[in-house]
Amino acid sequence: MSTKHVWLKALARPTPAIGALLVGGWLVIALLSHALAPYDPFHSMVPLMTPGAHGPDGSVFWLGTDSLGRDVLSRLIYGARTVVVVATVATLTAYAVGISTGLLAGYFRGRVDIALSFFANVILSFPVLVLYIVIIVALGASAANVVLAVTFGSAPAIFRIVRAITIELRSRDFIAAAITQGESTWRILLVEILPNSSGPLIVDFCLRLGYSAITMGVLGFLGLGLPPPTPDWGGMVNEGRTLAFAFPHLVLFPCLAISSLVLGLSLLADGLRRPASRLGKAG
Amino acid sequence: MSAASDLSGGVSRWLLRKLFGMLLTMLAVSFLVFAVLELNVDDVAVKVLGQFSTADQRHAWLVQNGYTAPFLWRYLRWIGEFVTGHWGTSTYYREDVLTLIAPRLAASGLLAGAALLVIVPLGLVMGVIAGMREGSFVDRLVSVFAVVTTSIPEFASAVFLTSLFVFWLGWLPGVSTMADGFHLRELVLPVSVLTLYSAGYVARMTRSSMVEVMQSPYIRTARLKGNSMRRIIVRHALRNALITPVTVIMLQIPWLMSGVIVVEVFFAYQGFGTLLYQAALNTDIYLIEACTMISVVVVVLTQVASDLLYTWLNPRMSIRTARTAAGAK
Amino acid sequence: MRLARSIAVQADDETVPILAVERLSIALPKGADRAFAVEDASLELRRGEILCVVGESGSGKSALSGAIMGAPASGLKVVGGSVRLKGQELTKLSERAWCRIRGNRIAMIFQEPMASLNPAVPVGLQIMEVFELHAKLSVAERRERALALIRSMQLPDPERIAASFPHQLSGGQCQRVIIAMALAMNPEVLIADEPTTALDVTTQAQVLKLIRELRTLHGHTILFITHDFGVVAEIADRIAVMRHGRIIEMGEARQVLTQPQHPYTRELLAAVPSLVPPTDQGEVMAPAAKPVLAVTGLAKSYGRVHAVNEISFDLERGTTLSIVGESGCGKSSLARILVRLTAPTAGRVDVNGKCFLTLTGGELRSSCRAVQMIFQDPFGSLNPLRTAGAVIARAAVLAGADVRTARERAGELFDRVGLPREGLQRRPAAFSGGQKQRIGIARALAMNPDVLIADESLSALDASSQAQILALLRKLQNELGLAILLITHDLRVAAQISHRIAVMQAGRIVEIGPAGRVINSPEHPYTRELLESAPGRGLV
Repeated sequence: MSTKHVWLKALARPTPAIGALLVGGWLVIALLSHALAPYDPFHSMVPLMTPGAHGPDGSVFWLGTDSLGRDVLSRLIYGARTVVVVATVATLTAYAVGISTGLLAGYFRGRVDIALSFFANVILSFPVLVLYIVIIVALGASAANVVLAVTFGSAPAIFRIVRAITIELRSRDFIAAAITQGESTWRILLVEILPNSSGPLIVDFCLRLGYSAITMGVLGFLGLGLPPPTPDWGGMVNEGRTLAFAFPHLVLFPCLAISSLVLGLSLLADGLRRPASRLGKAG
Repeated sequence: MSAASDLSGGVSRWLLRKLFGMLLTMLAVSFLVFAVLELNVDDVAVKVLGQFSTADQRHAWLVQNGYTAPFLWRYLRWIGEFVTGHWGTSTYYREDVLTLIAPRLAASGLLAGAALLVIVPLGLVMGVIAGMREGSFVDRLVSVFAVVTTSIPEFASAVFLTSLFVFWLGWLPGVSTMADGFHLRELVLPVSVLTLYSAGYVARMTRSSMVEVMQSPYIRTARLKGNSMRRIIVRHALRNALITPVTVIMLQIPWLMSGVIVVEVFFAYQGFGTLLYQAALNTDIYLIEACTMISVVVVVLTQVASDLLYTWLNPRMSIRTARTAAGAK
Repeated sequence: MRLARSIAVQADDETVPILAVERLSIALPKGADRAFAVEDASLELRRGEILCVVGESGSGKSALSGAIMGAPASGLKVVGGSVRLKGQELTKLSERAWCRIRGNRIAMIFQEPMASLNPAVPVGLQIMEVFELHAKLSVAERRERALALIRSMQLPDPERIAASFPHQLSGGQCQRVIIAMALAMNPEVLIADEPTTALDVTTQAQVLKLIRELRTLHGHTILFITHDFGVVAEIADRIAVMRHGRIIEMGEARQVLTQPQHPYTRELLAAVPSLVPPTDQGEVMAPAAKPVLAVTGLAKSYGRVHAVNEISFDLERGTTLSIVGESGCGKSSLARILVRLTAPTAGRVDVNGKCFLTLTGGELRSSCRAVQMIFQDPFGSLNPLRTAGAVIARAAVLAGADVRTARERAGELFDRVGLPREGLQRRPAAFSGGQKQRIGIARALAMNPDVLIADESLSALDASSQAQILALLRKLQNELGLAILLITHDLRVAAQISHRIAVMQAGRIVEIGPAGRVINSPEHPYTRELLESAPGRGLV
């Protein structure tokens, strides 16, 4: 019956377990990059060595080196830190914006709702990538602007989810009961409505974290992401692309890295869907 | 009778409201784009004349091109010119933006159309088969496939497919420049990448819609009338289960556009996406504005089309109701 | 097939029942609260009779009907016993053989008529489909027969009905279409699973009349499943009472209704509210000096629709007024206006002599406790994530108590509404529907209200918990001197608790008066119609 038990049980099934393992693995790598990386990710050594090759001093480059002679494995490990930090910050920012506006629009309806929904619609009228390109071109490529772009791109979708849930919950009798008892609006929003919408939001958060990672990857791949020499998976693909025919390791490993991280998040979201749907459902 | 004409009046009013909303959205978008890209005139001058232009040159250019006018006035002039088809000259290509965009748009349309031709049937069939029996082996297989493919970003699956079919097996060309005319072979990889990402999504949507329909009371009624499983699915479930996914497919088109940009850049396909990408790299400001506006027009049009389609497919919505009620009288 | 026919012919004499269920057991999935949905159930259905299977929710009556149709709900499995249709064993049939029986020899009608019809297909085509499946008829003949069926269901304008989609028809019309569909092949057995539960009282009466005619005029054999002994009394020839998956009593209708053998049957019968008001509270007591709640000229319109129209009444301390009406009559809108959830278009509401609707700020905060509501849906009226104790204590805090006394008060209120104190720590999911309504009452009481509004608060409950909640409300009224406004569709419930009854139709109060007078000598024709429609008037 206890809630924790339900979540743990969900994770014990094979697919979400794989997801948790992948995500957990990348989190550990991101936290401990400085200890795990064999080399300095910015330091140039022998360029374009193939995976497993030995350097002149006998050191091994398990995943080879890039065109500037930097160790691919070390850059991959530090890239995990970049993606985890930037994607998490970006997603959390988007959530802060999306939840607060969604609650207000869904609860008060009327003009607030019309204005906020219109604004969300305007943003959603951009194909996401076009929106990112316009923002980055106007503001320049930097971590802060990537966060801003992701916030802009994701917040309207979160807004819509929260708004829809709020409208649904608003019509339930326990909200009516709180209103008739003179409960304050803030308490209704934060104590009665928000916790009851957490189920779908937890699932969505996992998925959206994955989207944010993909966005970073795509921007990096297009050369519009974090400026070099920051270790960034998408950027590594972009830099290695022209040499990919001769040295596929330059692009393959970062692509595997980002795919496994996003896959982990998706599997996790999928596994949490069932316990999450029970959260907030009566009976 | 009067009820019917009331309803059809409601439909045309609904359509008018939709079109008005669409216009309003477009105006807001154009204002946003213009504000983001041209609010700061000095930035514009740098973008047009390049970083190595002198302050005097920039000032002269700004005066000459009317950039001394207030912002709102400049916006009105810009939107006016945009509506009449004067989209300016590309600073990088030194060509009229309109003539530059037209062939690229056609090329991208071809790519997206080809992708949709694969995505839609594949996604729908997978979704229907999976949703027919919730929890069956096929269902789980499709679900896992969908999770995996929607988790791999386009540029990554492009790398994987290229490594496999170009570098290793040597079956397909790695670029799709179509330099010496149109080749279907060059379309295979871009379409595959787009399909991999979107078909899983369509399959998932269709599956959940199908699962929901299969649990509904009227399916039970159909079974208890003596329908066989096959007849239930063909005659009763499909029709209702496809309403949502068909609408979702329309809304998938903006995502497809994002994907098209990545895929075009990856395979050097000379379409709208590469044009926008080049424009972004070269801060080719008028070209960016035009490309952005066009992509937004496409998105908004598909949204309206999706709404219309939903109304038309769903008998509970007004258009159909008005027609049959009128027909019955 | 040929074999089956010959058996059927052989069995076609009077001694063999049309449908025989013998020692049927249906297993529930592992982890359910009991092992069997239906355990060792036997019953016989004789030609031309209506056999009612009665039971409260969870008694296994729907599992039984599913098994007879060869389509048990997912997770259920027939594990023993037999079902024979004119001697032909059904439990071992293949799905293909079943397809020839369902809709042809056994047909079924359902609880939610509108949801049971395909929303994307005109209903005429849905009836024609039965002929397509079970008869060799041309399209024109199918169409002709379908129209004839619709006509025989006493539906107006058959052509128009046939061309309509389900959402364009009313619930009663949809149920008639489903009955027409079920009768298309003139089945040997008709199973009706709670066919009138989702309908209004007057529509229910019409559909019940129609089903009765199917038996008396056309000789159909009907298995009728219901939870409502009132309905049973209206139509049953014989009755089987189910509890926890077992048939505990079976017999001729009159015998079961008048001389029930099993204590549970007696309990169920006693729980059916009678239309006769209890003698001890028939008339209004001495009118109090001032009404706690005074409603004057209240109106609410949505565009051209007048949901609430010129409503006025007074409610005195310690008395109960019931507002009775069918769905859509505006009674719920009225309730929502009285607790300030909706703003009226016109009129005023005075609580304890103060104009309630125009209050603001601190004055509102101190006055809103005076009018409290108990809601209809026990599932939706409690926040699923908060414990019962926290919900009630919070209400006490809002009424002005400090946190410690609020917690004590929650405990007292739990005693008062008859719930064990251990439940304070539990979330709503751990309670039954009736218990949830008790929590809802405790939450309302925590505010020390003068007026308690119960909006259809009993309609989602089984008859036995309905009776218990009614008794609780009566007890609370005596102890606390509450004024109660009961909003209901059920005249029988109103008769049990009210001092006065108001009948509402299309936004207006058409009749208001002392309970005994309204029920015994109604003045308005609509009140008379409602009274005649109330099922089970024959029950003593």
